[in-house]
Amino acid sequence: MKIIYTLFFTCCFLFGYSQNPNTRDLVYRTFKDTRVINTQSVETLPARKLDIRISHRFGDLFGSNGGWDTFYGLENATDVLIGADYGITNNLTIGLNRTKGSGPLTRLVNTNLKYKILSQGLSEGSPVTFTVLVGSSISTSKKIDDIALLTSFPKTAHRFMYNFQMMIGRKFSDRFSLQITPGFVHRNLVTAADENGLFSLGVAFRLQVTKVLGIITDVTVPFSSLRTTENGYQIPLGIGLEIDTGGHVFQINLTNATSLAPADYLPNTRSNWADGQFRMGFTISRLFNL
Amino acid sequence: MKKIIPVLLLFPILTLLSLTDVFNNNSKSIAGQQPVREVLTALGDPLPDHYISDLPVKASVEIGEKIVFVGTTEAVSLQSPHFVCTSCHNTEKEFADLRDTAPEKRLAYAVKNDLPFLPASPLYGVVNRTTWYNGDYEKKYGELVVPARNDLREAIQLCAVECSQGRRLKNWELESVLGYLWTLELKMEDLALPASDYPKFENPNKENAAALIADLKSYYPQGSPAHFVTPPEDRREGYGLTGNAENGAELFNQSCLHCHENQRYSFFELDNSTMTKKFLKKHFPKYSRYSIYQVSRYGAPSHPGKRAYMPQFTSEKMSDQQVEDLRAYLEK
Repeated sequence: MKIIYTLFFTCCFLFGYSQNPNTRDLVYRTFKDTRVINTQSVETLPARKLDIRISHRFGDLFGSNGGWDTFYGLENATDVLIGADYGITNNLTIGLNRTKGSGPLTRLVNTNLKYKILSQGLSEGSPVTFTVLVGSSISTSKKIDDIALLTSFPKTAHRFMYNFQMMIGRKFSDRFSLQITPGFVHRNLVTAADENGLFSLGVAFRLQVTKVLGIITDVTVPFSSLRTTENGYQIPLGIGLEIDTGGHVFQINLTNATSLAPADYLPNTRSNWADGQFRMGFTISRLFNL
Repeated sequence: MKKIIPVLLLFPILTLLSLTDVFNNNSKSIAGQQPVREVLTALGDPLPDHYISDLPVKASVEIGEKIVFVGTTEAVSLQSPHFVCTSCHNTEKEFADLRDTAPEKRLAYAVKNDLPFLPASPLYGVVNRTTWYNGDYEKKYGELVVPARNDLREAIQLCAVECSQGRRLKNWELESVLGYLWTLELKMEDLALPASDYPKFENPNKENAAALIADLKSYYPQGSPAHFVTPPEDRREGYGLTGNAENGAELFNQSCLHCHENQRYSFFELDNSTMTKKFLKKHFPKYSRYSIYQVSRYGAPSHPGKRAYMPQFTSEKMSDQQVEDLRAYLEK
């Protein structure tokens, strides 16, 4: 609980410390998209921009569930996201999307509120861009009359999960950006052996190869004595290519995470890269002026 | 007593001044700050239809200025979600001598005065013109240019709907914009006319008034010629001109980056990085939408769902030589 308070007061302090973007030259586009692969990036949408997003995670490329039988996972979908983000101001973005989900709770409706507190200055000002995100996911699965299952949902509140992330990123050059992402996920209902709260730390980078093509990678380590390889859990790791054609960012990636919502993939990633249990995924993001 | 003496001295001084022309509004002497329109009216030139003496209720110059720069007022939604007037138009004078409107002169003036180098004519002095949407704009907008060619209000509405892909302005918004544009009318000092020549316009008579009006109007353009031109037939060969990389750098900074830097008005981001230059250099001779030959001469189209587009540069706004200058800069 102390850590939550610390995070809360850190954010309050930084809100108070936030700069006026009109008075400084700021670094533009630390990342090209508001997401890296699995994690959110420090980027928020410009004001009055609508971002329609479609993301997909196929089945295992190799391993027992992959290979030719599933056409290398392309005949399966572990998760699908469709939704939209909207920039209320240049620093404040709201989002709503629906994911199929692949953890114990599925059919998720996810909302998020993202605020850029600090922007990296070009020559002076903040050395980093700092953004916070608060998100919630509600499972709209049918209630099952079996108390042993999470989907029994004894209370409506048990359908809810929350996630909080702090993205701290720096664009070191036109070609290289790095981000670290401390985060916290809270699930209202878990099995007796599990824990409701889960802290994590993510690292992401973007390496811009050409004007339109970039390589992106992110990895998020959950801090939990339960989520070890001995218990069958794996660290979510994604590697991808990002193609920016102007107003249209297309991303194709490989990741062992089976789901797309943070409250879903962070506690539930069990697929192992070493066993070929990684999948192809893509995201299409299309911006509209409103 | 010491305080009263200056007041007593001030009274006779003011009286003397009032007998001179200093405070006399009916003076016929022309000053550099005097609007050209005022001088023309005094010479007997009729007021244009778009002249406004009083703005209607709700309208104001301040609202007009906000629409031009920001695209909205507190009362209504954005006129266009894609552009504002200043995306394509400067609000300042663009030439030292308004009679010499060569694009090379425009670039030199833009660099000297740190102005963007834009595809459209400046709003400064637009109320002094008598025609708009000249030349080849008929090829682009068809019959829509007919009412706009001789009517500034219609020209503004055409710009609002077609050029900026937005909605028509409400009447009070239109009058506000017009009110603001009248604050950008040409002044005598904007003309390449020596102040020593002003007196000839001060005391006209019936015989010479028409000639004086024509003479004064010859110092600034009454319209804005526009010719659409094509990319070179062989894009690898280009226009067959030797580019100047230094001029190209100025064009890139004053023109391309005005819209594309930080995706200000475009979804396609450009900057001064090596990656960007390599990309543009690679596509320059190609038949693609990333070729500067292509977009400078044909523009980029507007699609349903992606209405923001790029207007082309007419030969009056960017010469073939300048396109080659850009190429030379990117290939340097």
